[in-house]
Amino acid sequence: MIEWIESVLALTLQVGTVYLLASLGEIYAERSGILNLGLEGIMIMGAASSFIFTLAYGHLAAITVSIIVGVLMSLILALMAVYMRLNQTVAGLALTMLGLGLSGFLASPEVRKVILLALNPSLPEKFLAIQEAPKLPEIPVPTLSEIPVIGCFFRQNALVYFSYAAAPLMWFILFKTRPGLSLRSVGENPAAADAMGVSVFKVRCVATMVSGGFAGLAGAYLFLGFQPFWQEGLTAGKGFIALSLVILSTWNPLRALLGAYLFGGVEVIQYRLQLFGLGALSPYLLAMLPYLVAIAALVAVSIGSVRKRIGAPASLGIPYSREE
Amino acid sequence: MPLKIETRLGRIRIERRIGYSKLYSISMTLFSLALAFLVISMILASLGLDTIQAFLVIFGIFVKPSLLLESVKQSIPICLAALGLSIAFKMNFWNIGAEGQIYMGMIASTGIVLLHEYYGLFHAWAVMPLMLLASFLLGGAWCLIAGALKARLGVNEILPTLMLNYVAILVVEFLVHGPWRDPKGYGFPLSTPFPKYAKLNLVLGEPAYTGLLLSTLGAAAVFFLLEYTRPGFEIKVVGQNPSVARYAGIKVRRTILLGSFLSGGLAGIGGLSIVSGIIGRLRPGASPGYGYTAIIVAALAGLNPWLVMAASIFFGGLLTAGGVLQMSMGIPKAAVQMIQAVIFLMILVGEFVKRYRIVFEKPRASAS
Repeated sequence: MIEWIESVLALTLQVGTVYLLASLGEIYAERSGILNLGLEGIMIMGAASSFIFTLAYGHLAAITVSIIVGVLMSLILALMAVYMRLNQTVAGLALTMLGLGLSGFLASPEVRKVILLALNPSLPEKFLAIQEAPKLPEIPVPTLSEIPVIGCFFRQNALVYFSYAAAPLMWFILFKTRPGLSLRSVGENPAAADAMGVSVFKVRCVATMVSGGFAGLAGAYLFLGFQPFWQEGLTAGKGFIALSLVILSTWNPLRALLGAYLFGGVEVIQYRLQLFGLGALSPYLLAMLPYLVAIAALVAVSIGSVRKRIGAPASLGIPYSREE
Repeated sequence: MPLKIETRLGRIRIERRIGYSKLYSISMTLFSLALAFLVISMILASLGLDTIQAFLVIFGIFVKPSLLLESVKQSIPICLAALGLSIAFKMNFWNIGAEGQIYMGMIASTGIVLLHEYYGLFHAWAVMPLMLLASFLLGGAWCLIAGALKARLGVNEILPTLMLNYVAILVVEFLVHGPWRDPKGYGFPLSTPFPKYAKLNLVLGEPAYTGLLLSTLGAAAVFFLLEYTRPGFEIKVVGQNPSVARYAGIKVRRTILLGSFLSGGLAGIGGLSIVSGIIGRLRPGASPGYGYTAIIVAALAGLNPWLVMAASIFFGGLLTAGGVLQMSMGIPKAAVQMIQAVIFLMILVGEFVKRYRIVFEKPRASAS
């Protein structure tokens, strides 16, 4: 029994980390007033680039590159949503489509081969055609990892440990420091923030880049740390689930930590029910669970009394311009 | 005097344009398309692919009659879904769920066919009209979920419509792997092939023509709805300013319900055009993202129903080109998705250039 609980818990952590990393960055973007609907596309680009770069240069390079790719992609959104004042929904959607299309194109066997040979001409032949990459190694923490049940928290890979530290750190920066205050003020009342000498454009641009970097990292984690087997459309809406998680967490990084593991748990329950034979009839119906739970979460936070207490960033989705 | 920061290079200012001509608007759209193809050619060339050959294939589609016919066929679901989206977007209702609504339309049409095939519930001649009705209703109902959540609880529609896409795809998977699997299909996840009377062959026995009729009727209906009817007017007012709409006595909630239902319903008929016009049965992955392409089409056409028809034929051609590119040049099929996305991004940039102009101000001569 304990072994079973441990394995469910470990898997929940691993799935939850995808959501956690993606939503931590998104919280910053939305707190500054930018809805980054490109999350899904950035994540899959992060996954695709980590796939290609792991084969060519190894894990560290892959993770670095996927963060850089995420930041670059989010710069497109920043340019369109912050400076061009275009509709953020449409711009983010375009970015998602770009990510899905570009990742499918670049990581397809034909194109991937060309890229891999350009990156590393001495790459052995067998790496050119494979669909999988080596998984990130688990690094057990001495003694802590031997505790029953909760020991699995300390038998994870480096990115999971990073996410443990990132959530409280991101919370601290957002709520307890001056830059965090500027960020929140820009999302609440950009005109007032501007009058106080905060550069609205710069803050929003940086916040969007943070969300892009984290989304790229989430993609890299999803591929390298959880499911190191490439297929087109690998993220399967995980970016959108992370977006609803941001709302469920009421734009708070610490609550996102809990919410991420909740969503991770829902997904793991779905796998487990399939194993138990409950889903033997239709794994497809069980696979709907994460999406339905995400919708239910959105409905739950929209119910009147809850809504008054949480308060979304007042200027979320509204472009800022000094003239209007 | 307010403080101005001036750099040595001069200052860049972004000004809103006050009105612009239609000609300017059209030429900017064409310019952004050209820009998109420039970006795409740069991507293809940087990977050492034969860019000119690829473009010849893409634009050659519209010259060869058989491929043009295929493009028109491919454009029907895109067009119907984009017409629906035009209604929703006019209402400022961000329906990103056309893909799921298309799948629900496919399910409804297949359901009617199976009811006839397995149980003989109605006459053969009634099958097609019932398929049209059922796909409209089920597609509409699928969008109405998000519409009702917005109207009743104020839930933003973007994420629910998106999530329901994934759910709808899984419903199809469930059906074709389970209860609707063809007993004579050697265990493949496919439904029974559609009989003749369940296919789109009313006009000259050709799905492309029949589909064209369907989408023309759809465009006319949407045009009439938005320009000449009271609900259409209310939809537009709600989209422009919900509080004005409320003051004017428009029932905003009811309008949202109606608009979202119509939007999903049209996408549902788009689903019908796939199963009975293109594939001839239900199978998983029946739509290669028509519902997402429809969003680009609606944006490119500026929500004008007639332009939607034209733009969807262009994108239908692009999808057809995808298959040809893969077979003749070995360019992966995902290239089409990438090309679409680049076009989408460039349309948005074009939208910015239309609405604003960038003014480069020379630094003033300093007194020293």
